[in-house]
Amino acid sequence: MQEILLSNQVMVFLLSESTLFILLLVAFVVSLKILLKWDFERFTPFQFALEKQAYLVSTIILFVFLLKFILVIYFIFSIDALSFLLPGAMCAAGVIKANVYGSYLLVLKTFILFGLTLWLFVHFYDMYTKNHRWFRQKSWLFMLIFVCILLELILDFSYFTNIDAHLPVNCCAALFGQLEGANPLPFGLSIASLLVLFYLFYILLLLTLKSGYTLLYLVTHILFLFIAYYAVVYFFGTYIYQLPTHKCPFCMLQPEYYAVGYLLWGSLFMGSYMGLSDAVCTLWLGKTNRKSQNIAIGLLSIFVLLCTAYVTVYYVRNGVLL
Amino acid sequence: MMRKIMIQIENLSKTFYQGSHVAAVLKEINLTIHQGECIILKGVSGSGKTTLLSLIAGLDKPSGGKVLIEGEPISKLPDLFASELRAKKIGMIFQHFNLFEHLTVNENVMLPLIPTGLKMKALQQRVDEALQVANIHHKKDSVASRLSGGEKQRTAIARALVANPDIILCDEPTANLDRDNSLLFIAILESLHRMGKTIIIATHDPLFDHLDFESIIIPMVDGEMV
Repeated sequence: MQEILLSNQVMVFLLSESTLFILLLVAFVVSLKILLKWDFERFTPFQFALEKQAYLVSTIILFVFLLKFILVIYFIFSIDALSFLLPGAMCAAGVIKANVYGSYLLVLKTFILFGLTLWLFVHFYDMYTKNHRWFRQKSWLFMLIFVCILLELILDFSYFTNIDAHLPVNCCAALFGQLEGANPLPFGLSIASLLVLFYLFYILLLLTLKSGYTLLYLVTHILFLFIAYYAVVYFFGTYIYQLPTHKCPFCMLQPEYYAVGYLLWGSLFMGSYMGLSDAVCTLWLGKTNRKSQNIAIGLLSIFVLLCTAYVTVYYVRNGVLL
Repeated sequence: MMRKIMIQIENLSKTFYQGSHVAAVLKEINLTIHQGECIILKGVSGSGKTTLLSLIAGLDKPSGGKVLIEGEPISKLPDLFASELRAKKIGMIFQHFNLFEHLTVNENVMLPLIPTGLKMKALQQRVDEALQVANIHHKKDSVASRLSGGEKQRTAIARALVANPDIILCDEPTANLDRDNSLLFIAILESLHRMGKTIIIATHDPLFDHLDFESIIIPMVDGEMV
């Protein structure tokens, strides 16, 4: 346990997470007070004081949230670096599965990042109204995210304090490799049907965005994200590794694959977070931002092009598919 | 005919806290200023004149009460909207001129118009008009650092006028000027008054006690209008 906790990456990570949590705790307590007493229509000294505090709290939250995005990338980098300490681990996949907390932590972190993106959207909409129209919605959303971040901190410590550096862990081949006769793809899909769905949902995404049916766009977005994950791990990833049996979402983060995983997963998740946040804001607040829609589609298009490019380049060079 | 209300101040107060020390700089100020009026806030240093101007301009937030600019509560507006309102409706002239010393007179005056996105020809036309009104057109290509105090103040006037604001706020505008330049400043002020601008001047200069044009003198003592 000590080898893990005392490693540079984990110490820096946990210290940063704890520091940011303390800042958010202060913001949470002040936010709760503001939320309960807020009445923008009043011109009393108390309301003016609340408005000043609200501005300060929003600035703290904005600062912390932007750092949280960087910290998630650092978390991935850290667990990838830890694979050298754990027997059996070849990449972050083995490390994340070193105990029961890892997978939950990773899922929670991705959920929190979506929450943060949504908060940023609501915050900017709120800042562009004369009467802080979305202040209450923004504050309640922050409360919800804060609870998730509290849970995340508990899981962070539980995860890193429960990794036994002497206990062998599974490598990605064992975790994501195809067991004999078992199909790891959802709903019993074949690779061919997975690919059809991958491109189909991408096209549907573009069409639903143009059509203006926000709920349909939201559902398509979620389905695309779900299918894209499997498509990368079980098809496109094999072209990145140039090995049909190598199926792992994490190895592509390593320098020997030019750390392309950061670009690939980064464009997929950032594009999805932006697209989903925009759709949620349209349904929730009635606000749409064309620019963020375009950025979301741009990022997802980079993702799709990058995936396709790996397969195309392999085919052009070798004349066969894997 | 009833003139339009430009500025409405209701129960305005401003308090500063320094540790345990509480300083009430403005106490329950109420004031209504109509279009075209010239208001002179007179008082010694520390009487709250500058703080009142800052609150009217939306540069600072009050501790209580409201400031309405043509019905818009500038004291409640987020910074973005307060800046927009200020850029459109308020021109400011300061005691220390606040010019960019390394820029020319022309460039200093043009600066507030840059965010408007106007074409250069239109920009220059408005700058020339403002320079003419402020009587500083002949120095348009001079660098600000080489101007005299009076010329600097006239450049500041041109800069305050260039966006054609309805309201002009002046904070101790003649404090750094000699008598001749102060009189020249007052003459320009008179022409602005004739143009229908609403003018508020914070000063303790006795030259403003007997102006040749209609003005309202409001004495201020310890944050209160007396």
